[in-house]
Formats: sequence, C-alpha cells, structure tokens
Amino acid sequence: MKIIDVDVVVIGGGPAGLAAAIEAKKQGTKKVMIIERDTSLGGILQQCIHDGFGLHRFGKQLSGCEYADNYIEELNTYDIEVAYDTIVVEILKDKTVYAMNKTDGIIEIHPKAIILAMGCRERTRSQAFIWGTRPSGVLTAGTVQRYINIEGYLPGKKAVILGSGDIGLIMARRMTLEGIEVLGVYELMDSPGGLSRNIAQCLVDYDIKMHLSTTVIKTHGNSKLTGVTVAKVDSNRNVIKGTEEYIECDLLVLAVGLIPENELSNQLELDIDPLTRGPIVDDQFMTSMEGVFAAGNVVTVFDLVDYVSLTGEIAGAGAAKYLKNELDLKQEYLPIKSGENVSFVVPQKIRLNNLSEELPLYFRVRNKQEKTEVGVFELENKIYKKRHRVVLPPEMIVEKISTKLIGEINTPLVVSVKEV
Amino acid sequence: MIKNKVINILQNTSDISHYEIGVSVSKEKIVTLTGIVEEWKDVVNIGHLVANVKGVKNVVNDITSKDVNIKEVNNDIEIKATLDKGVKEECDVVIIGAGISGCSIARSLSKYNLNIIVLEKNGDIGEEATKANNGNIHPGFLAKPGTLKAKLNLRGNKLYTQLSKDLDFELKRPGSLVVFHNESDVKKFKVLKFLKKTGLGYFIKSFRQYMKTPGLKWLSAEEVKQKEPNLRGNPLGGFLMTTMGIVEPFEVCYALAENAIANGATFKLNTKVLDIRKTNGAVNEVITNNSVISCETVINCAGVYADEIAKMVDDKFYTIHPRRGAIAIIDKNRKGFLNTPSGVLGRSDRSHNSKGGGASVTPEGNLLWGPTAVETHDKEDKSVEASDLDYILNLGQGVTDQVKKNEIITFFSGIRAADYKEDFIIEASKKVRGFIHVAGIQSPGLAAAPAVGEMVEKIVLKQNRLITKKLNYISTRKRTPIFRDLSRELQDELIKENPNYGRVICRCELITEGEIIDAVNAPIPATSIDAVKRRSRAGMGRCQGGFCGPRVLEIIAKELNIPHTEVTLKGGDSYVLHKESRS
Repeated sequence: MKIIDVDVVVIGGGPAGLAAAIEAKKQGTKKVMIIERDTSLGGILQQCIHDGFGLHRFGKQLSGCEYADNYIEELNTYDIEVAYDTIVVEILKDKTVYAMNKTDGIIEIHPKAIILAMGCRERTRSQAFIWGTRPSGVLTAGTVQRYINIEGYLPGKKAVILGSGDIGLIMARRMTLEGIEVLGVYELMDSPGGLSRNIAQCLVDYDIKMHLSTTVIKTHGNSKLTGVTVAKVDSNRNVIKGTEEYIECDLLVLAVGLIPENELSNQLELDIDPLTRGPIVDDQFMTSMEGVFAAGNVVTVFDLVDYVSLTGEIAGAGAAKYLKNELDLKQEYLPIKSGENVSFVVPQKIRLNNLSEELPLYFRVRNKQEKTEVGVFELENKIYKKRHRVVLPPEMIVEKISTKLIGEINTPLVVSVKEV
Repeated sequence: MIKNKVINILQNTSDISHYEIGVSVSKEKIVTLTGIVEEWKDVVNIGHLVANVKGVKNVVNDITSKDVNIKEVNNDIEIKATLDKGVKEECDVVIIGAGISGCSIARSLSKYNLNIIVLEKNGDIGEEATKANNGNIHPGFLAKPGTLKAKLNLRGNKLYTQLSKDLDFELKRPGSLVVFHNESDVKKFKVLKFLKKTGLGYFIKSFRQYMKTPGLKWLSAEEVKQKEPNLRGNPLGGFLMTTMGIVEPFEVCYALAENAIANGATFKLNTKVLDIRKTNGAVNEVITNNSVISCETVINCAGVYADEIAKMVDDKFYTIHPRRGAIAIIDKNRKGFLNTPSGVLGRSDRSHNSKGGGASVTPEGNLLWGPTAVETHDKEDKSVEASDLDYILNLGQGVTDQVKKNEIITFFSGIRAADYKEDFIIEASKKVRGFIHVAGIQSPGLAAAPAVGEMVEKIVLKQNRLITKKLNYISTRKRTPIFRDLSRELQDELIKENPNYGRVICRCELITEGEIIDAVNAPIPATSIDAVKRRSRAGMGRCQGGFCGPRVLEIIAKELNIPHTEVTLKGGDSYVLHKESRS
C-alpha cells in the first residue's frame, strides 16, 4: 500500500478544489495534492459548453470549459500534485485518507489539513416522487448534458423537462439546438427556479413554454418511456384533480435540484446544517473539525461558479493559515443567523480574531420581494445595509461586510431582508 | 354439491349478488366461473369467495370486468414464424421461467444426468417478482397451517443455511421482531407462550404451524429496547422469530442459476414460450420464438403467466390474479438504525393474502419498507402510485417516526403470481404426462425456493426412475470478488492483480470497473444497465445511477462490442440513447 504525507489534500478537482489548491499553495503551503476522480480537472465545468461563467471572477462571459481552463493553467504553474482517476473511499477521524486508482492501488494519505470539494449531485426521479413505471428515457439533466456534450449521443427525440432550475433551462436550449423537440419546461413552484437571464436566453428565444405550478406526476411505458402525465398543483403543491394531461415523449429530463455531496463529511461526522445540507463552516470555511475545510457546492449549492471559486480561495487560504498556526482556534464563535425572509447564511459562524478586512456572506431569500433592503444586525444595531430592487429565492445574494464594523457587542449577527 | 354451495354463497353476498355468474364444477373439483362484472375488484373478490368454499380444489376465474380490457393472446403468427425457421433442439427437461423457483429447480435437477434447458422471456433471470422481493426468508410462522406454503416455508428456511454456504451468497439471520403496545396483546402472547411451552398448541389446528416453527422468543420491554432502541414509543414487549433470514433475492437466484450452469444446464434468455405440443397424452415439443424443443418433461414456473402456460397443454385448473407489491428503500445513512426486520402489531393491513408489510433491512443494511398488496388485472403493471407510498410510509411510521419520506432513495414494485387458493401448486399434471405445475408461487416463495427445488426433484424422479446421478456434480459455487467487502490490504492486492478493480464506477456503493466487467462476462451475462446493477450493485445507491449510468453503458458497449445506442436499461427496446449527435 502506498503511503503519502502531504500538507493539504484537496478532495475534488472541480472549480472549488482548483481555487482552494492554488490559494493554499500561494499562501506558502509546501505540499498540496488534489485527488480527482475523473481523468481531467474541471469537474462538471467540463461538460458546460455554454457561456455565462466568469462574469464576476474574470469580468467576461466564458464557457464552463474556458473558465476551468483559466484555473487549470494557473495550477500548472505551481508544483501541485494531482492524482487523476483516483477516488477517495474513506476518511478516518484522525484525517487519514484512503484513496485508490488503477496504478497505485490503495493509497493511504496522511494530510495535515483536508479541503472537501466534492461538489454536489442531482436529485433523482424517486426523490422527486414521480409515480408510474420505471422505463428508460428518464434521465437527470446533468446526465443528458454529459451524453450530448461529452459523449456525443442524443438520448431521445421528444423531451419534457421537469424543473426550471438553471440546468433545466440550459438543457432546453441545448437539446433544441441538437434537434431534440422540447415540449415544455414544467415547474412545480409558482415562480421559475433559474436565473432570469437563462429564462430569456434559453426559453423565450427558442419559443419553449414554461408551465408554472405544474408538475410531472407519472411516467408511462414499461420498457421505453412512452409519455408522461403532467398536472397543475395548488398553492400547497398538491395535484389539482382534473388537470391531468398526457404528453407523448421519449425523454423526461429531470432538473429537480442539487444536493451537496457529503458522504465523506458524514464519515467524519461533521456538523451538518439542515438548511444548506452541507457542513457548517466558519469564516475560513473550516468545518466543525479542526483542520478540515469545505469549499464550493459541498457547503451549499451556489448558483454561480464564481462564488464557488471564491469559497475555494477562502478555504485554501484558511488551510494555509491553519498550517502556519495563524488561526485562533480557541476564541468563542459568533453565530450568524437567518433573520426575516432569509433561508440560510454561509458561513454560519465566525471568529473575530480570524477575520480579514471583508467578510463575504452568502445567503438566499425565502420569498420573492421587491424594493428591499438587506440588513446585518447586531441586536438592534444595523452594521450593514444595501438596497435591492428585487430579491428572488433562486438568486443567491452575496454581501461583503467590512469587518471593522463587526463585534462591537458580543452577540450573534442576524441577516434580514425587509421591504423599504 | 359444491356447485350448490358456490351458487349459494354468490347469491348471498352483498355487492356481488346481483351479478350473473356462470358456475361449472369438474370432477376434480375445479370451479370455472364466467360472467361480466362492473369492476376488477369484484372479479378478485368472487374468485376468493369461491376458492374458500369447502371442497373446492381451485378456481378458474374467467369472469371479465367492464373497467378493464384484457386482450386475448394469440401466438399463431409467431408460432408459424418459428416453424418456418425450422430450428430444432432436443433436451430432457424444459423449465419455463428463470425466477427463483425455476432456478432452484434447475439446480436441483442438475445433479442428474439430464439435459436441462431453462427458458426465460426476459433479457435476464429473476427479473420479475424475484428481484422486486423484500428478501425475507420467513420463519414460516405466519403461513396458514396445513398449506403447501406452510410446509415448504419451514423446510426452505432450514435449507438456506447450507445453501448460502454452498453457493457463497450472503444470508443473515437477524430474526423478525413483532412488538406490541397494548396490554391485551401482551396477554395474547403470554397465551401463545403457554401453548408453545406446554405443547398444547398441537391440539388446536390453527396453531399447528406456529407450534412447528423453531426459534421463537418472547422479549420483555427492556429486551426490546435493548435490541432495537430506535423503535417508536415504548413497546410493552416483543415476539422474536429468530430463524427469520434476509438475503439479496437476485443474488440467490443468480447463484442457483450459475451453479446449474456449472452442472450443464442451459439458460436461454429472451426466449418466450409460444406453445406446447403433446403426443399421446404426453408433452412432446415446446415452441419458442427461436426454436422447437423436443423434450420429455416441461416444468411450468412461469410466475404470473403460469395459467397461460398450463392452458397450452389443456390443463389450466387455476387462474393467476396479479397482485402488485411496492417497496421503498431508505438511504444507507440509516445503516444500523434498525437491525431486525420489525413490525408493530395491528399496523399492516392483514385483509390481503400476502405476508409482509413492515420495516425490513437488506443484507447491505439499507432499511426497506413495504411491500404493499394491490390487486391488478395487468400482469405487467410494475408501477408505483402515490397510494402505494402512503401505505408504505404508514408501515414505516409504525416502527419509527424518525426516518423521513425524503430519505427514500428509490421505490419499485413487482407482481405476485397468486392463485385463488392462495397456496402453492406443485404437482405433476394429472392430464398430461411429463408436465409439472409450479404455480401460485408468491410469498414465501423466496424462503421456500430450496424446498420447491427439492419437491420438484422428487416428482421428476418419481416419473422416471431410470434417471442417474452425475458423477462429476459440482455442489458449490464461488462468487466473483466483492471489492467493498475486502480489507484495504486485500483490495490493494486485487488491484495489483487486475487494475480494473482500481477504478471506481459507482461511487455511492463503491463498485469497481472490474466488478462490472465480471458482471457483463458472467455465465449469465449482464447485457443491460439494470442487469449490471442487479449483479454488482452499481447504481443502487443514493444517486440511483445518475453518475455511473453513462459509465456502465460504456463498459457494456465495450465488453459486448456493440454500439452505445444498442445498450438498454432493462432489455427489450429500453434503449438509453437514441442516436449519435453527429452521425
């Protein structure tokens, strides 16, 4: 069995892992290693041939592949080891990492710090509770994207898309361009799940209809999908009897949500936030276990890769500081709480002694609201405010708080969004 | 006499008394029913009512209902196509159906110098009720005393211990726990204990099966709490049937088939029986979509289609009414939450005729809830409806309220092949020499399977006393490596030996490329994504093949040397890919 000692091991070579590894190296970490399960770096970006990436990070519109390439090129200028086609099978609580691949067999890695960057996975048809038979032709949007963009195959002729999240919208356009007839996008909720720009560019431009408060309730066909039943739902998301409609199709594309991939986090028994479904992290993106950091969609599903990279950088820098003993690990944490119309905030807690000049807060609202103000409070004291014309649940909000303002009183921070 | 009793009960049962039902009774006491009713449930109710009339051996229920349209099957064109093709084969025994029963019988008979062909209409073995089963090796306690089921259940359960050693499949015996919450149940179980300990139960017919069931234990409230601390509430006590086992049903089916093959049996997949021809009152030829097979013995293990196969030799004396059962699997995050398949007294709906319905555990440690029991006219109706899941959730909730609906990773259903007597039918045909019925095999069909094989073996031997044993019979079978179960050191060695075991394809269940290649190249090759899943577990985890699906498809295409577009999800025309995007 091969045994390796490293300073930082980064699990996952997608956007979060790339940014984390580079930043850890930049901050003076000697031995950084990325473990990547695929044969190349970039993660899911490899199959994202559409543009819309990098507006925040690089100030221009890039395809997913180009965005990843920027990081991969930078990575190549550093001495960072990448284990390709390698998968982590287990992490022990003493931070021993077991990984494996074809050439080395089982590898036992002893890192001083770990950065978890495994990304997320797609919800399946069972988790969306679609009834009926289980024929072929029911695929998640990411799988369809892989078949079309990477492997060069079309999985059907006539498609129905369930879910109006960004992946569903992107795939509506992609399939149309490839000659698959897209019969409609169906969304359980009463408002779209994806970014407004994607609705305009992927649906409106191609005359694809979006059906809100409507969902797929049943699949038909014992062998190959022959059709689906859709139905309208009421405000409690219950099916309205009599609105059922049969649609003949041979492909049902599921874009019904993403779930942070936390099998390894669970092995470490990290504290998990039920709202984000990812590990609870602090201002350094360090988890409940000292020396174990998390970055990107493992923490919560972000809607822009730019944010994912940013969290990677924070975690990478955090790991470097941890190794240099520059982090105060004793100070009491200050919690950050979700106030009015906020569903979650990342990070969930901070240590004042470890803060740099700015503290970025990532959060989502529960409900759509117009003419609002984001406020960050210490008790009654509003330490930060910003106006937003409109806030929507699918669009993550990022506010950078000047840390000079934090910590006047030793009390939790509360993030609220209110009409003004 | 029987006819009068049947007519009497039909006329005196509300809801159905207004129907005009034709009744005829053969000298073998088989009742044939005809007529038209409003709803399918009436068809089933009438069938059961008549089957329960004393003296009735079985029921051929030809009643139709207005709410369903069952098409008459006509194989004439296909038969002609096979006859025109002119492919002829010969063997001693044809087994129709490669489910758990067919495979067990094939293995039992493969001990002898017999040429055996197993015919399976699907692209894989065990693809019907077998694979959609909850894997319980029932203790035999609940089977109705005096039935064939009851006898074979007890015997089969006992045979599993040795079978699992011989065929290298996983068998656990966690026992089965029933807990109770009211004082009256505590009293009932005290009486049971008394009857068992004193032997008095043998004098009461309805208790005989219970008296014959070994390994029964009575647990106090504390013992229940200690054994299963996560059970809901504070049960007052429990009843533990220690002989209850759990297996992965497909694995058992597959192991039996593989061992039969090692002993010379031939399995023909995608092969559908179209007709059976007789000569001088004995079976002579089986006509399939591929060939005409001459043989001396035909064993009908066709599951939900057993009645239609029996009809081909004019010996249909039972009707199979399909009963759907849905099951839900819980994420393995809950591994260890419950270790004993458990039920709460009074929770599951005992009005139906199949057992089960509770919280079970798979050998891998996933919680398993279900199954339901829904009568359906459609033998292919493997759907799951909202009402099924409601029922399943209710069962699960009885055991624990901690496990939530969103922890379910998948749900599926299978069809039980029930007859109206709700018992197994295993016997040589009284009308056609060489034809053996193995019908009505539903729960506890998996538990009974080894005993079913044994029983049919005896029938075959009785019919032909000249059959001799093979000298080179191989009684054991070793399965291919299961990577995830090995120690890190052994995993490392295995990868060094064959690097394909070093690449993980299914990360949820830790299944390697080597294991998938093994599955595709197995004695019964996995030629579809689901077939790979059943053999290797790839795709059984929480992402349900979202990640590994495309990779498994690629391996199948490569190993079988077929285009990606010809790989199916589950055989037939269930293609995953329509065409190349740039072709």
